[in-house]
Amino acid sequence: MWKFILRRFLVMIPQLFLLSIIVFMMAKAMPGDALSGQEINPRANPAELERIREDLGLNDPWYQQYIRWASNAVQGDFGISYTHKTPVMDVIEDRLWNTVFLALVTLIFTYMLAIPLGILSGRYNDTWVDKTVTGYSYIGFGTPIFIFALIMLFVFGFALDWFPSGGSVDSKVDEGTFAYVVSKINHLILPALSTALIATTSTIQYLRNEIIDNKIKDFVRTARSKGVPESNVYSRHILRNSFLPIAAFLGYEITGLIGGAVIIETIFSYPGLGQLFLSSVSLRDFSVVTAIVMMTGFATLLGTLLSDIILSAVDPRIRIE
Amino acid sequence: MKIKSYSKVLSALAISSLLLAACSNDTEKSSTKEKKGKDVEQVDTSLFPTKTTNQGEPIDGGHLTYGLVSDTPFEGILNKVFYQGDPDNQVITFFDEDLLDTDENYVFTNDGAASYEISDDNKTVTLTIKDNVNWQDGKPVTGADLEYAYLVLGSKDYKGVRYDEQMALIEGMEEYHAGKADSISGIKVDGKKITFTFKKANPSVTTGLWTYPLHKEYLSDVPIAKLESSDKIRKNPIGYGPFKVKKIVQGEAVEFEAFEGYHRGAPKLDSVTLKVVNPSVAVKSLENGDIDVASISADQFDQAKALDNVEILGKVDLAYTYIGFKFGHYDEKKAENVMDNPKFEDKRLRQAMAYAINNEEVGEKMYKGLRFPANSVITPNFKYNNKDVKPYEYDPEKAKKLLDEAGYVDTNKDGLREDPDGKEFKINFASMSGGDIAEPLTNYYIQQWQEVGLDVQMLDGRLHEFNSFYDLLKKDNEEVDIYQAAWGVASDPDPSGLWSRSAAFNYTRWVNDKNDELLAKGISEEAFDDQYRIDTYNEWQELIHEEVPIIPTLFRYTTTGVNKRVSGYDYLAERQYKWFNVGVTEEAK
Repeated sequence: MWKFILRRFLVMIPQLFLLSIIVFMMAKAMPGDALSGQEINPRANPAELERIREDLGLNDPWYQQYIRWASNAVQGDFGISYTHKTPVMDVIEDRLWNTVFLALVTLIFTYMLAIPLGILSGRYNDTWVDKTVTGYSYIGFGTPIFIFALIMLFVFGFALDWFPSGGSVDSKVDEGTFAYVVSKINHLILPALSTALIATTSTIQYLRNEIIDNKIKDFVRTARSKGVPESNVYSRHILRNSFLPIAAFLGYEITGLIGGAVIIETIFSYPGLGQLFLSSVSLRDFSVVTAIVMMTGFATLLGTLLSDIILSAVDPRIRIE
Repeated sequence: MKIKSYSKVLSALAISSLLLAACSNDTEKSSTKEKKGKDVEQVDTSLFPTKTTNQGEPIDGGHLTYGLVSDTPFEGILNKVFYQGDPDNQVITFFDEDLLDTDENYVFTNDGAASYEISDDNKTVTLTIKDNVNWQDGKPVTGADLEYAYLVLGSKDYKGVRYDEQMALIEGMEEYHAGKADSISGIKVDGKKITFTFKKANPSVTTGLWTYPLHKEYLSDVPIAKLESSDKIRKNPIGYGPFKVKKIVQGEAVEFEAFEGYHRGAPKLDSVTLKVVNPSVAVKSLENGDIDVASISADQFDQAKALDNVEILGKVDLAYTYIGFKFGHYDEKKAENVMDNPKFEDKRLRQAMAYAINNEEVGEKMYKGLRFPANSVITPNFKYNNKDVKPYEYDPEKAKKLLDEAGYVDTNKDGLREDPDGKEFKINFASMSGGDIAEPLTNYYIQQWQEVGLDVQMLDGRLHEFNSFYDLLKKDNEEVDIYQAAWGVASDPDPSGLWSRSAAFNYTRWVNDKNDELLAKGISEEAFDDQYRIDTYNEWQELIHEEVPIIPTLFRYTTTGVNKRVSGYDYLAERQYKWFNVGVTEEAK
């Protein structure tokens, strides 16, 4: 197992290297650079812009820029963000924790909703309960998040005024106090819930289908004929097996959420990575763009590895050698 | 200084305006034209009031919440020397300011933190900082602080874009900038006094001089290259404006408290919270009192108008939209514009295209009256705007006549005109994406040109993203025949930066001897006489109107919503001192 994990980590190196070249070339292929926003500033002296470009090395051929960037990046230095005028890692760090918290709370909400609903609809399939749950999950599947999030915002943020309508924390509370934590959580609930409510579909459906499949498997029939009480049949035999795909997907889910929820972050003015990524692309802040892509790329590789490890841990039939 | 912002939002967010319409009880359909401002001398600009009407006495301990309307967090570079995006500037406005105030024409006055004097030969400017002007840590603001700003701006390590031509005119500045000198010989400091000596007299000094100091004592231990990323700029900035920064939630919010030692007197508010609000919820937040002040976009204008608790103030923005013709290319070696593309050399063709489009209707219908036909490329909030020059009025018959005269006639009877040689005449129109109006507007113009028989097509059949668009212009892509763009203009009326023979920003590449002459006259020594300068720019605007190297299309209003409990807010006051007078006459909600 350790060997396997080590091997996977070693494979990541060429993968990330390839990713970095692709990202770098594509970023450079976009028209404009971090200074083009100034092209329409009549007070900006074009000669000055050229001087700054020269200083920043933006006029060099891409492979020279790439080598310079890569040799710094392997030492953990992703350069300076031109828009934020501060090291890229600082910019990202500011946002990263917001995104991580949002992702975690979203994940918790999603599972809190999806698992009971999936179990109910699988166990009582084709009853009205199942039909309601399936109906809900299809509606969730078909609802665009940007509309749903806005509706949630207007209902709970404005009309009922239960939750704050934007930001990640109330600026009046002091860091480190209990009120600060409460305020943080309070700001998280609405965006997390908005995502979770319509992100449950796949989990519900997987769980439901697995349970229905397992219900008629031989080992279940055996258990029933042995006289195992119905509740034990479900909890011991069916559910355990049905959770396999859910567990396997956990790794992917986490990486998916780390990438940042652009739309949710934008609507709730929640400063996270997704929003940073989008604005950095349109402002051509290449150093931030490449750093975020590399980070999410790494997170994805890590997520798949995590999924494999979870799978082997919960399913004794799968062995990683 | 204005940087045009461009849409970064997913078009999906447009849906928000629908929801807003659904949420607001839109019963009042009053025309904005009923509201007349007090300021009637400049007719064009009086569609909205510019000051709050609340005359009540501000309460003690008042608190105001300012909504910074933006779809991204502010970057947090809280210094005028370094900041890049407008959101940061809005934050800076509360705690810091320039040394010189300006009047409604953006000309310096002696009412602010410093007074100034210009020598008889117009080459020396002396600023005297008032005695009671102190930084928020109690240290006095001195001439050395302003000098330090110049030393930073001119330094090799400075990566911003604010080193401009006005600065380069200071004696010794170019030498310092090139690294040949350790100090700037043309700047002399004596305590609270600072003197600038210029190589050449330039009337733009009364509008364009850099007067924003840096707290030398506080900042000088940080190397210049590290200043912009230092905590002293980003987390604990010290200014001398009406409010002190108490706390910053990075990118989201700032808490301010009154600075009692402010040189104009203690501010009327005790504290201010600034927070970022998404454009899609700005009006809603105004309605429920979460925020007291927020700018309002054209999309949300109708909803905002219907609110009972909010007053709408408006002013004409320092910007114009235009349609430009491509005349040639920029010769980088000579640093000069060269006119070598004869496609639009006949000015009757250009005039015809101007007569063919109806900007009145564009402003009324598409922009809900928040934009109006532009008569010139100097915005109407300047006294330099030539009121006698009228916008090209919609007159398709005249357009057709001009085209006939110029020889652009339909020879093959396909409904579209051929060029004077009888060849097909196609015009590629480049236009930028961003916002919901961009595409219908472009199509509208194309349609109107087709009505007079001109075959205009959208370049590549689509709109171009901001960066790609300016890339096409900058590199003088031969596919582009005409384009639509906008300029935000600085408070300095001198148009040379966009119009001179040597200007790289002169994207049309139009050059004209008369133009060169008038631009030079506008910044000559004689132009210190204001009437002379006004006459010069009037003549220049007539030239532009006659030659139509660009068609000025629209001027625009910017509007802001202010809660009715707020008093003393003046939307016209460009400089920071506007926050000092602002109070609230009752508690929130």
